[in-house]
Amino acid sequence: MAETMVKLQGICKRFGDLEVLKGVDLEVGRGEVVCILGPSGSGKSTFLRCINLLEPPEEGEIFIEGNDICKGPGSGTGEQSWELNFVRQRVGIVFQQFNLFPHKTTLENVTLAQEEVLGRSKQEARAKATELLERVGLGDKLDQYPERLSGGQQQRVAIARALAMDPHVMLFDEVTSALDPELVKEVLDTMRELAEEGMTMIVVTHEIGFAREVADRVVFMDGGVIVEEGPPSQVLENPQQERTKQFLGLVLDR
Amino acid sequence: MSEFFNQYFDFHVMGEHFWEVLEAFLQNLVIFAVAAALALIWGLALALLRQLPGKKLLPIRFITVAYIDLFRAIPILIIILLISGGVPFLSFIPQSIRIPHWFGKPDPFWYGVAALVIVYGAFTAEVYRAGIEAVPGGQMEAARSLGMSHWQAMRHVIVPQALTLIPAPMLNEMISLLKDTTLISVIAFSEAVLVSREVLSERLNSSAMILTAFFFVVIILPLARVVDRLIARNQGKIARGSHIEVA
Amino acid sequence: MRQTRLTALLAVLLLALASVAAVGCGGGSDTTGTSGGGGVAEGGGGGEPLTVGSDIPYPPFEQGKPGEYTGFDVELMEAIGEKIGRTPEFQDTSFETIFRDVGQGKFDAAMSAATITEEREKAVDFSNPYYLSEQAVLVKEGSPIKSLKELEGKTVAAQQGTTGLELAKEELGGSEIRPYPEGPDAINALKAGTVEGVVIDAPVAQHAVEEGGGIEIVEKVATEEDYGIAVAQGETELLEEINKGLEEVEQDGTYAKIFEKWFHAPPPKAVFSATHEAE
Repeated sequence: MAETMVKLQGICKRFGDLEVLKGVDLEVGRGEVVCILGPSGSGKSTFLRCINLLEPPEEGEIFIEGNDICKGPGSGTGEQSWELNFVRQRVGIVFQQFNLFPHKTTLENVTLAQEEVLGRSKQEARAKATELLERVGLGDKLDQYPERLSGGQQQRVAIARALAMDPHVMLFDEVTSALDPELVKEVLDTMRELAEEGMTMIVVTHEIGFAREVADRVVFMDGGVIVEEGPPSQVLENPQQERTKQFLGLVLDR
Repeated sequence: MSEFFNQYFDFHVMGEHFWEVLEAFLQNLVIFAVAAALALIWGLALALLRQLPGKKLLPIRFITVAYIDLFRAIPILIIILLISGGVPFLSFIPQSIRIPHWFGKPDPFWYGVAALVIVYGAFTAEVYRAGIEAVPGGQMEAARSLGMSHWQAMRHVIVPQALTLIPAPMLNEMISLLKDTTLISVIAFSEAVLVSREVLSERLNSSAMILTAFFFVVIILPLARVVDRLIARNQGKIARGSHIEVA
Repeated sequence: MRQTRLTALLAVLLLALASVAAVGCGGGSDTTGTSGGGGVAEGGGGGEPLTVGSDIPYPPFEQGKPGEYTGFDVELMEAIGEKIGRTPEFQDTSFETIFRDVGQGKFDAAMSAATITEEREKAVDFSNPYYLSEQAVLVKEGSPIKSLKELEGKTVAAQQGTTGLELAKEELGGSEIRPYPEGPDAINALKAGTVEGVVIDAPVAQHAVEEGGGIEIVEKVATEEDYGIAVAQGETELLEEINKGLEEVEQDGTYAKIFEKWFHAPPPKAVFSATHEAE
């Protein structure tokens, strides 16, 4: 059994009166690719964002590489209660809306955090950035501004930007949902390669095909809880729960 | 009708006092330059203080908001008169600060600049805030997720983008500030309005005042047009979804 | 959100109502003086009102609140009014436009410790002099400055549009001269220490010294200034009336009484025979 990279227990999250996560547990081992599926409002994105503390949970515990990242006793609220730096230096995230820095070139997008957060020298950062951007197939776009790139290209830059920080875990929050269909493949291919290189990945997605082919485990969430969990062959081909069947029925019939 | 022109557009009077009024108008520009520079810096500081995150820093945010609300509400004239009328009597302040004659400018100049900076700091802070809040939330999320601290994110990601969104409203504030330099006339600083009033009482004629108005129009009208064009250009860019140029 | 808008609207209405009530009950806050119900306290001898423009305050000549103005000018004018059957109504205005305003009929007359000058006579006609004045130089008690000349190169305050300002400009070429909109502002600047001297009408200076505040007169400059009451050019009838009233007031002792009250001294004989030909 691979070493546990990420472990979440009893995660609860509220937005005002609305309970979005009602006690979610998840364990992800090194090199594992976990895909989280579910209808909108199921809380899957919120759950993902709990992992890197963009949405600190009201209750629950989070362990990154065995380290309890909660500063205070038991559950904490507010940023001060969590080890933000520890988490964010080990966990990278790619967003649905890319969120590239529009006032910086592609290269600068990937070098900025390296220099400011990791303290790498300009040369070091540039070298790493260039290497990563070439790996995602954008070596010729280093000096372009994001507005000139297609959605698919921008998302690949976003992946490179996150990878430049040498994360141990990568989170993907519906990263192809905002893309035109013909641009989706290039991003999924990049993610596939990443998985093959052994990156631990937690992927919230609607791309069932990707889940089937790349995921080690599929998690189905609905109404703030995990409904069903297991290898893709089981969850996708032979779902046990009624809600899973319903969801897949709706999605697969497209 | 000819009386109207005599009172307001007597070119002889304008001619005889032209250089006097122009020289005084230059004083308005000096006040403006000093006050604007300081207010822009002070306003940014206020805006950043207001953005400080976390529960522990709530008192700072609160005081900042209170300051901004207060000084947006009090008329500048009152502030000028409070400073010039009261500060000289505060003997616990050393004389060189209490009655400043820095850089060859007399105390009314500095009282006026102080009042303008105090108030326009509040106004510009609001412009900065609007700019900062207009930057999409995802930018901060991305920056923080990469491990940047709040300050690093502000400095490298948020503020540079905010600054591209604010030239138009900020220029409006600066135009307002330029006009408000005339308020210092009430504490006997020889700027254009004061000098025009002297001509008025001497010649019983308002033409010098019209001349002063003319100087303001000449400077401000082109600036106002620049503002209009900036707004139109950025609105066009937002509509086309392209990125807004950062200088 | 509709609720907040309603509450806001309500608050604004309440505020408006409160303001109206305050103005109505407070008894007139208009600084234009006594027009309409504010107070006919300056009432003279009954009869047609006589609007008198004046730059208030300028103690001891004119001071006080609308409806309750008082001072040497005010009382003298009331006395004159009694003699000629008019009721003076003093209205506060800015000194620098007062002559133009009288000339254009905004007021019937102007009485504001105003010196008769050639320049001013281009716009108005003056009565016979009712006060013989001069300028004084004020400094802070204990100041090393003892004369007008010693203010050369220093910061000096005066009131805009006055003969005091002119004198300062004439005599002190190298000084920074600050013209304040109101006389008391110039004096306050001296007390605050932001200027080192004030050049202003001697009686006003004297009054300020008596009020306290650590200032003293160090020199009086005999400028032979006469104060007159101004009327629009061509208003010969009104001018004659005023002159007549002034003469009567001087002769029956009323002038002396008012003078004593405000200046704590008997009036100089010269004022009784001072005349002025309207040009």
